[in-house]
Amino acid sequence: MTISEHPTGLRPPTEPEVLAELAGMLTVVLDDCGLGDAEVTMQTRFTEDLGLESIDLVTLAGQLRERWGDRINFAEFVAGMELDEIIGLTVGRLVEYVVDRLQPGERA
Amino acid sequence: MTFVDLDGLRCHVQRLGPQDGRPPAATAVLLHGLLTDSLASFYFTLAPALAAAGVEVLMYDQRGHGRTARPPAGYRLEQFVGDLERLLDRLAVTDRVHLVGNSFGGTVAFGLASRRPSQVACILAIESEPASPGWAGKLDGILRRSEQHLRDEDTLAWVATQRGAHTARLARSAGALLAGTSLARDIPASRLPAEAELRAIHCPVLAVYGSESDLADQAAWLDALLPDCRSVVVPGQEHSILIEAPDVVRELTLSWFAGHGVALRGPQAGRRLQPAVAKRSLV
Repeated sequence: MTISEHPTGLRPPTEPEVLAELAGMLTVVLDDCGLGDAEVTMQTRFTEDLGLESIDLVTLAGQLRERWGDRINFAEFVAGMELDEIIGLTVGRLVEYVVDRLQPGERA
Repeated sequence: MTFVDLDGLRCHVQRLGPQDGRPPAATAVLLHGLLTDSLASFYFTLAPALAAAGVEVLMYDQRGHGRTARPPAGYRLEQFVGDLERLLDRLAVTDRVHLVGNSFGGTVAFGLASRRPSQVACILAIESEPASPGWAGKLDGILRRSEQHLRDEDTLAWVATQRGAHTARLARSAGALLAGTSLARDIPASRLPAEAELRAIHCPVLAVYGSESDLADQAAWLDALLPDCRSVVVPGQEHSILIEAPDVVRELTLSWFAGHGVALRGPQAGRRLQPAVAKRSLV
């Protein structure tokens, strides 16, 4: 780590910050249909509430990696889940995963 | 998202590879099926396990599907096979590839094995078959019925009740694909290989069927037709084995690859795969 990487600049994002960014990504993923009036909260389900298809989740996975790098590995995150569980995923569960992976201890 | 231009077709590609920094043990290309399918079906089931086992995994959305472009026409089988050939060329994949095809994806895999025998190491075909007059006739019926039903709001509402909101959304997308393109008429009009062409597919083939699917009836025919083909029937499964029983498909694929010269590594490598598969009373 070099001196220019001041700790405050490297502060890992909080849950509300990740949630806000994720909501922004969702508007891009759903470009043609948009989010409409849907409010994105930690309880929002990707498929049931936002109408995402499985291919939309793949797109979102790409955006997450572009934003936060290889530490955010969506395929790995869902690897142990059944498809029903993936389809029933809440925004909150993904937010928690991202926040957890971006903790300094998770760098290596 | 990565897009590759295939002579004017903007094709959505996803790759997952080993994370251990070592060169991949093999390259697998995963081919999804028609209408409600996309690369997501593999991305969330088989692909992560293959990558963890040291395999370079290449997935793409076939023309008209997922995030790949949807031209209004041009959906004969040979055009899907041509996309795969162009994709391998564009990505400079020169190794022999291990193909895994779900349903129509397997039909595309057999098509590539016919066109480029030296580039295909083996095929795992899930609920699938090579193109034939029987296949074309059956697809014609299925596509005509789908075209009619998937534009009907009552049917879509029924799907939502029976199979959930996600399947209903996939069904609606499939309806849009059929309404907006000539796919339903193009598939049955595909160039069909002569039987001699199929007999010449010499690579090892594992055909996986669900015991409750009508495709299982053809296992003996395909085993006899192809020089090196064996079948596995998964009890209690219908057509959607990949989605309904992803763990079975994972085990089958890993043991199939291991049995065909792929030196798997990672957590999968030390496992005794074959007994685990056998215990599920396959066959």
